[in-house]
Amino acid sequence: MSRAERITVDAGMVAVGRPKPTHLTSLGLAIERTLPLASHLEPLFPGGGLRRGTTVVVAGADAVQGATSLALALAAQASATRSWCAAVAFPQLGLVAAAELGVELTRLALIPHVPPSQWTNVVGALVDTVDLVLVRPPAHLRQGDARRLTTRARERGAVLIPVLGRSDSDRSPWAEGADIRLRIVSTTWEGPGAGDGQLRHRDVVVAAGGRGAAARERMVSLALPRMVGSADEPATIDAFAGSDAARIPDPCLAPAPTLRSAG
Amino acid sequence: MTNGTDERDDMTAERGLRTLVAWCPDWPLVAAGILPHVPAAVFHANRVVACTAAARAEGVTRGLRRREAQARCPELVIEPHDPGREARAFEPIVVAVETFTPRVEVTRPGACALPTRGPSRYFGGDERVAAKVQTAVDAALSGLVGGAVPEEIRSRIGIADGPFSAALAARRGLVVDPGSSPEFLAPLPVSLLDEPELSDLLIRLGLRTLGAFAALDPSDVVGRFGPVGVAAHRRARGLDDRSLATRVPPPDLSTEMPLDPPADRVDTAAFAAKVLADRLCSGLAAAGLICPCIRIEAETEHGESLTRVWRHHRAFAPATVAERVRWQLDGWLAERTRCGCPAPDRSDSPDVDQCRGGTDCPSPLGGTTGGLTLLRLVPEEVDVDDGRQSGFWGGMTEADDRAARGFARVQGLLGPDTVFTAVLRGGRGPADQVRLVRWGDPKRVSAKAGTGVRSAGRSPSPTEEPSWPGRVPAPSPALVPVRAIEAELVDAQDQPVGVTSRSFVTQAPHRLSIDGARWAPIRSWAGPWTADERWWDPAARRRLARLQVVTADGRAFLLVFEGGQWGVEGVYD
Repeated sequence: MSRAERITVDAGMVAVGRPKPTHLTSLGLAIERTLPLASHLEPLFPGGGLRRGTTVVVAGADAVQGATSLALALAAQASATRSWCAAVAFPQLGLVAAAELGVELTRLALIPHVPPSQWTNVVGALVDTVDLVLVRPPAHLRQGDARRLTTRARERGAVLIPVLGRSDSDRSPWAEGADIRLRIVSTTWEGPGAGDGQLRHRDVVVAAGGRGAAARERMVSLALPRMVGSADEPATIDAFAGSDAARIPDPCLAPAPTLRSAG
Repeated sequence: MTNGTDERDDMTAERGLRTLVAWCPDWPLVAAGILPHVPAAVFHANRVVACTAAARAEGVTRGLRRREAQARCPELVIEPHDPGREARAFEPIVVAVETFTPRVEVTRPGACALPTRGPSRYFGGDERVAAKVQTAVDAALSGLVGGAVPEEIRSRIGIADGPFSAALAARRGLVVDPGSSPEFLAPLPVSLLDEPELSDLLIRLGLRTLGAFAALDPSDVVGRFGPVGVAAHRRARGLDDRSLATRVPPPDLSTEMPLDPPADRVDTAAFAAKVLADRLCSGLAAAGLICPCIRIEAETEHGESLTRVWRHHRAFAPATVAERVRWQLDGWLAERTRCGCPAPDRSDSPDVDQCRGGTDCPSPLGGTTGGLTLLRLVPEEVDVDDGRQSGFWGGMTEADDRAARGFARVQGLLGPDTVFTAVLRGGRGPADQVRLVRWGDPKRVSAKAGTGVRSAGRSPSPTEEPSWPGRVPAPSPALVPVRAIEAELVDAQDQPVGVTSRSFVTQAPHRLSIDGARWAPIRSWAGPWTADERWWDPAARRRLARLQVVTADGRAFLLVFEGGQWGVEGVYD
């Protein structure tokens, strides 16, 4: 039996029904279809990876910080592995913090000031050419423009990360319709006391929801910034999920079967 | 051929190539723009490379260590060795010499040589050529110095047989008669041969002058000193047969196009620019060059000239050049709309015909006052086209190329000063540590940035991270407001909190209000980190204290206290 036939049969056994050639390509290019992500952020995403072509909304709630840090942390591993990132309309972005979170600054292009009339064109041009785009949407972005950018990102295989401010997160056209929606629920800083110590460590609880496989909202607790030298894995807090559903393995999330080597 | 008598016959017959050397004394310092009355020296690897006449009078000599030179002359100004700058500054001199003959050899920055056979015959003698070259070089020098050339750095011209003798004649400003170079060289020390090991050996053998060395039999020299010795021996005998490595004058790659009638619409000028860009790029391609940096020049009908330099991350192509010209002309021609004349009707169109500018315009505010009459593209930097190919592992990849196209597209939409990459540098505040570099510009940080002191003390090595006492430790705030937001910080008795000169907080902070908003109780705080920046400069001095504050609802801020006022410098978003 030749090598190609063997793989086809294996893939066919996984997929119910006829073996489709698309499964072969999707298995073969699995690495190319996701952007690398730090291990402590993987629980935020169904399948544990930042899939290309998705739109990931990061929203801070009222009086809850952490959205910018989370968005930067999502870009960190991708930029460190030579993917290009861009940050649109972030005039206040703390670049030292970005570097500390692991973002490779030589791979991050900044477009700090974008007039609202050109905003869609600029983001569109970047989505076409760059792997990961962090954007802060203008106040009155049209629903149609947001949908077009989401579609464009899906077609071009870019990850679009709109970072919503505290006040506009519910009114934003991206409030619905994003593939992944990450909402900061609460943050707790550790370190300072009454004048002593320093900011060291922050625990952030993120509500991760979205569409499709991510539709069921889960609460994930993670450290931002990650404590230096800590290898502890973040725990999924089941209590927040409200039911035992979180424990039941999702068939869509089942790990891809490994191919036996033929010959 | 190999026996001694033939050699001796040759000696009388052959003679080095008649050469003129123009020499500019203390060139590294002249290039640095330092006049001879200032005691200054250029150092390389801790040794003096060159020094001014004033420094020489204090006892500074070549090869001296820096510490020793400073001991002899405490007010010595220290300049770093910059061969690139020296070569660039020497270019006008070479151009001046090139008016006499196209065959000029730039021996090193500060000295150039040319064969005199043609020019001497044309101008009627070596002395006349020497005088003419000296006048031309001094004129170029005065343009560089910006005024009269001091006697100490006036150029010296020497003519002799062979470049070696001519260089030594130039030091003395002599014209050595044809055939008498051996006599000229004879009394000079052997150390001038520029072969340290050989001259050291010759001195120990008792041969102290070039004449004594030249008197040796050539066959003995080759037997004892080898080929290096023979070459040095021939130089000592005035038989320097090295031919001049004359440079090929660089081709003028710039292109220009007169515009008649004057173009006062962007699209007219941009069309001309496209033609020009095509011509420029085909000229570059024919020479096997690429151009990463281009200068766009335009002249208007009223004689104004406008210049702008653009840089590309790799190389300009005709389309990208035309695009830059278009952006630039958009800027120049659109600025005319901002002159003091009544606003034009079609304010959205970039071409404005209402105000003819110039003398008609009662109050021009900048930009051009007329249409463009001339457009010129000058390649500022050229590089050898290495036929770049996408890397397989590392290097420039196709993704890099794609991203670069995207950023260029954004620059096209918004203008050149809109896309940046960040470079981290030293500093205390979160904003001080970041430098934004325009996309396409080189990322180098200049060596002098950050320190105002040049010569004193040990400068940190490039790999060493300098420490910044008073810097707030990581994590850093993820949002840094462009300017600090005003805030109020009070203690439990509603008294404003301050920071003493001993770096203590006057009272424990209790409540925080940012920009007049609701009071937020403080759960914990840390600091202050104090800094006294630029205390040596009264205008730029800053004394500030930073405080990390966490409010009861879990938000964290970096506050800065300066001049009795609290402000939010960073938000830990």
